[in-house]
Amino acid sequence: MKRVAHWWTEERRAYLLLVLPAVAVYWAVMAFPTIFSFVLSLTNYNGGAIFNNPNIELVGFKHYLRMFNDRYFWISLKNNGLIMAVSVFGQIPLGFLFAYVIHRKLVKFGDFFQTIIYLPCVISTIIVGRLWQSFFSPYGPFTEFMQKLQPGWENELFFDPQLAILPVLFVILWMYTGTYMIIFLANLQKIDPALIEAARIDGATEWQVLVRIMLPALSGVIVTACILAISGSLKSFDLLYAMTGGNPARRTSVLALYMYDTAFRHSPNYPLANAISVVMVLLSFAIILMVRFTEAKFGGRE
Amino acid sequence: MLKKSTLLLLALLLVSSVFVPTMFAEEPIRISVLNYFDLTSPGAERELNEVWYEFSVRNPHIIVEREDLFLEPFHQKTEAYAAADRLPDVIYMWPGGRSTSLHTLGLVKDLRPLLGEDAKYYKEAVLAPQAGGFLAELPQTMTSSHALYVNMALLDSLGLAMPETYEDLVAMVPVLKANGLDTILMGAQDDWVIQSCLFSMIVGRLVGDEKLNQILAGEAKFTDPEFVGALEFYAKMYEDGVLNRKIMQTSYAEVNGLFATGRAPFLVDGDWKTSNFLTDQTTGEALIPVDKQHEFKMTIFPAIPGEINKASSSGVVGVGFGMNAKIEAGSAKEAAAWELIKWLQGPEVQKMRLETAGTIPSRVDVTSDNIEPLVVERIRYYEDIMVTTEVLDNIFVGEVYTPINIGLQEIGLGFATPMEVAERTQEAFDAWFARQ
Repeated sequence: MKRVAHWWTEERRAYLLLVLPAVAVYWAVMAFPTIFSFVLSLTNYNGGAIFNNPNIELVGFKHYLRMFNDRYFWISLKNNGLIMAVSVFGQIPLGFLFAYVIHRKLVKFGDFFQTIIYLPCVISTIIVGRLWQSFFSPYGPFTEFMQKLQPGWENELFFDPQLAILPVLFVILWMYTGTYMIIFLANLQKIDPALIEAARIDGATEWQVLVRIMLPALSGVIVTACILAISGSLKSFDLLYAMTGGNPARRTSVLALYMYDTAFRHSPNYPLANAISVVMVLLSFAIILMVRFTEAKFGGRE
Repeated sequence: MLKKSTLLLLALLLVSSVFVPTMFAEEPIRISVLNYFDLTSPGAERELNEVWYEFSVRNPHIIVEREDLFLEPFHQKTEAYAAADRLPDVIYMWPGGRSTSLHTLGLVKDLRPLLGEDAKYYKEAVLAPQAGGFLAELPQTMTSSHALYVNMALLDSLGLAMPETYEDLVAMVPVLKANGLDTILMGAQDDWVIQSCLFSMIVGRLVGDEKLNQILAGEAKFTDPEFVGALEFYAKMYEDGVLNRKIMQTSYAEVNGLFATGRAPFLVDGDWKTSNFLTDQTTGEALIPVDKQHEFKMTIFPAIPGEINKASSSGVVGVGFGMNAKIEAGSAKEAAAWELIKWLQGPEVQKMRLETAGTIPSRVDVTSDNIEPLVVERIRYYEDIMVTTEVLDNIFVGEVYTPINIGLQEIGLGFATPMEVAERTQEAFDAWFARQ
């Protein structure tokens, strides 16, 4: 009894009071659905009552095997990989570059450029998808523009399985670079200007300021941006859904669309859809761990 | 001066006049409805006023809690409701296709017993058993999933005549190409469009329903020469330039404007597409204005070499509303839900749908003088159809027709051969058949 009283201190009560609501919410909306999804992926559950349903049986990793044997899974995974590459190696460097140029006042009208670059982020993704779909349509402005340059040009961008995803990647780059620019801009403003001024007085070039001061100071932010980019890439859905619907012939599909098609289109297969979502979560964890490891090994200190 | 007791009596009378009627009033019945509704369609405003609002005025004791969705979000929600075993009381349904599980799992009631004597008001064909072997939804129309829309003015301006045969159509291709035009437009970015609006018709002509039923019974295969031949004919349409791969990059909505502005003389789609060209009652605007509608014709695809069914089109009985099987038989809720379903397929509503969307009534007692020329043409178009054959996604389950849907796009893009698509479809069918 005395031991309990000793444990139940005011500090501990305050700690639990602050932490428990967040833990409960996290468990309810994140952890439990993820674990439950994994459990369902091992069963034959395909609708109806979940609890006390005598027809539900454990079937092992059957759905995972089916998924790995489905070529549309690999097409989707490859497209996710491309989106991730554009996000990490396109959006983040470009976002940083724009932020740096604006922050260091290397161009005039910095506020104007900041607004213009960030603008796509505030437009509904569905509208953006529809607009770009019209733009890249065989009867749209892009085709007409190309035909002005090269009469008789046929818009076959979506017909080559290697190229079909290109317009989507371009739109992703256009749409989300502004988010990273804002993140970097906010963090650049936290760096003490005196530090940069001192470096310049000591004769450091702009490049040296960038590489020796700015980038090391922002390595933690870069990791955060990478995690955002990776998780965002893996859950890509809305833009693709609006722009291509994963077609033609599922060549622009991604894992989230593949999961959606499996769960909700034509012939619902919930266990398989759950297996896909579990793989997405595991992939996300694995890649984020890799990023953290890279940062710990090569990153600078703020 | 009134006495206190008189005042008290008056007060009591006043209070009772307010409360007594409500004490004996009928408790309103709440009916949840999942409705398929395109808010941007030209007839949307009339539907809201003349269908839903009017029902609430006529039936104050029924409170309708309606959820409007359109295209994929509708199907997604339906599947989610079905999976959670929480279907609404009244639900918009297809006679098969995307609604197959509602039929085959018995999630909705057989409406035939409720229809009773009222069956005499409906065309016999629309009351045929549906995917689950019973009347799961009361159809509002007959639907032809294939129609060839023709811009006659454009053909005339190029000195071309209506093609009678496929060869005639192929002969037009160079002339159209020289004028910078496509031959046939389709909004086939979504993979169901080619299967539903074109390939089902080709299968009907070259394979026939008898063979399809043999496949369904496991007595024939998709890899048999007839079905592969249908896929090969479809592949040939690209080689001949009749179809352009651009159709797979054209969205279902975009094609409306393209056809209306004369980017090609032909459009292949379902007969329901007519509604997209009619006048929007709220704005008075139309993609094809009333005075130009006579320049457009609806017909069926020309004769195909080797066809066993001549002048055929693929079709199904149309969509309608079904009732949740969980509603207790003989209950007040069942009566209210049936009242709503009857109203939704009643003469007033079908007349409104005929006028706004050109929907051919499923009832025998509906007609109107207030219809646009394109609707008249849609009614006439049915005279061109000699045989109606099955739509593939109406007789096969999603697991089986999905490889066809994707395969048709792959054939068009040159990613797969007709035999490969037939083999994949057969594989999917075998897996499904083994579980039955």
